[in-house]
Amino acid sequence: MPPNMHCTQSSHLLTALLTPTRTTTSPPAFLLPAFAQTSPFSSSTPCSARKDHNRNRGVSALRHTGLGKNQRLSVRLSNLPQPVLDPLRRSVVKVDENHGLWGFFPKERTRISTPEESNMHGRAWTVQELRGKDWDDLHRLWWVCVREKNRIATTEVERKRLGGRFGMYGDHESGQRVAEVKGTMRCIKFVLTERWYAWENAREAGMEDPEVDLYADVEGGERAYLPQEEGEETLSLGSEDDARTDPTQRLPPPVESTVSSEARVRV
Amino acid sequence: MAMAAAAPFKVGMKEIYLPNFTVCLKHTPSQPPTSASFLVPLWFSKLDLRDYLHNVYSLAIGPTIRSYVQQSRIRQGQVKDPARPQYKRWHRPRATKRMTVELERPFVWPAEPEDFKPWNKEENKMADQEQSAMQERLGGTKDALTIPTERRVKMREQAKALLEGRERWRPGGGRGVEGIGMFGR
Repeated sequence: MPPNMHCTQSSHLLTALLTPTRTTTSPPAFLLPAFAQTSPFSSSTPCSARKDHNRNRGVSALRHTGLGKNQRLSVRLSNLPQPVLDPLRRSVVKVDENHGLWGFFPKERTRISTPEESNMHGRAWTVQELRGKDWDDLHRLWWVCVREKNRIATTEVERKRLGGRFGMYGDHESGQRVAEVKGTMRCIKFVLTERWYAWENAREAGMEDPEVDLYADVEGGERAYLPQEEGEETLSLGSEDDARTDPTQRLPPPVESTVSSEARVRV
Repeated sequence: MAMAAAAPFKVGMKEIYLPNFTVCLKHTPSQPPTSASFLVPLWFSKLDLRDYLHNVYSLAIGPTIRSYVQQSRIRQGQVKDPARPQYKRWHRPRATKRMTVELERPFVWPAEPEDFKPWNKEENKMADQEQSAMQERLGGTKDALTIPTERRVKMREQAKALLEGRERWRPGGGRGVEGIGMFGR
């Protein structure tokens, strides 16, 4: 639309209404008064932007804005660089092989993964499998899961955009894949929590145990476990059976059989 | 995964080991290749994003990050994680935060797939059109006083054929007891 025209002007209405959209049909009768009206709705003259003759508009002495006394710009208003609007004429950008953003895309470096590619996944790690892993391995696995979740989320957003009004397949497969990743993350947290509780229980037991010294400097050579010998003041709750179950005592000698081997054979 | 190099920016004292959130890369064709936009959690800050991209993706970014929060429009429907789940409740979903970052090295997204066959896009479209056509034929939920033009034209042709004697009337329209006539082979 030309800049001096308003959308309610009759000439614009005419061109808009009489341009054949589907078939050459005349406009309905109730719209005919629009063509009878020849004056625009607005009675004031349309005004366009005029040249601002104030070169120092926005220039502040306090904040040192604007050009310096002898400063010359490298660009002239008459010689401004023009952007290349046609995408086909733009120069091809070479993308680095090891660019960090490739982490948001599938392994094949396509824009989105197909439902088949999304479906090619294994099962989540189980708690039993993760119990044998140390902290560093669990930490690394956690971040692998985080990156995978980011990648799946990027694919989903792009797939929904490309699907348009009717959508595309891949929702279910991505959902299943994310569920497995989340399962792994859940198991990692489970294992770490279990370990923490074991450590906490041991620490609390150690605090109360007189034989354990929690403040010992193990690397310095001090012993943390100091088993105490039983003294006379301790109450002996022994029984007659103690001699049999006492591990420090030697085993009694075996009973020698009086019956000799020759006596066994009796014809 | 290798440890990230020393950060070119000032880092804080807080160490985070097992964070559980998602950062999603957005496609912005109107922006230049030296720019990247992300969908981040609502509590995220620009400093968080800078640290995250450096440590997780080894991404070198420019000094400025721009962010804005996009409010969602009010809509009806199933509310996600509500106190009382109700069908078709008016609610405003959670707002989304977007952050735009300037990249040191440009990045261009891979080309769109030419053929959307693996995603069944055409079939989805056809199925949707078929379904809407069928619903139109059935008359929809409102009182169907208007008969579709197609059906009217077909009925006129059938009536004309009967009157001219080209066809003979048969009970059930020639179909078998089952209605389709395929079982009378």
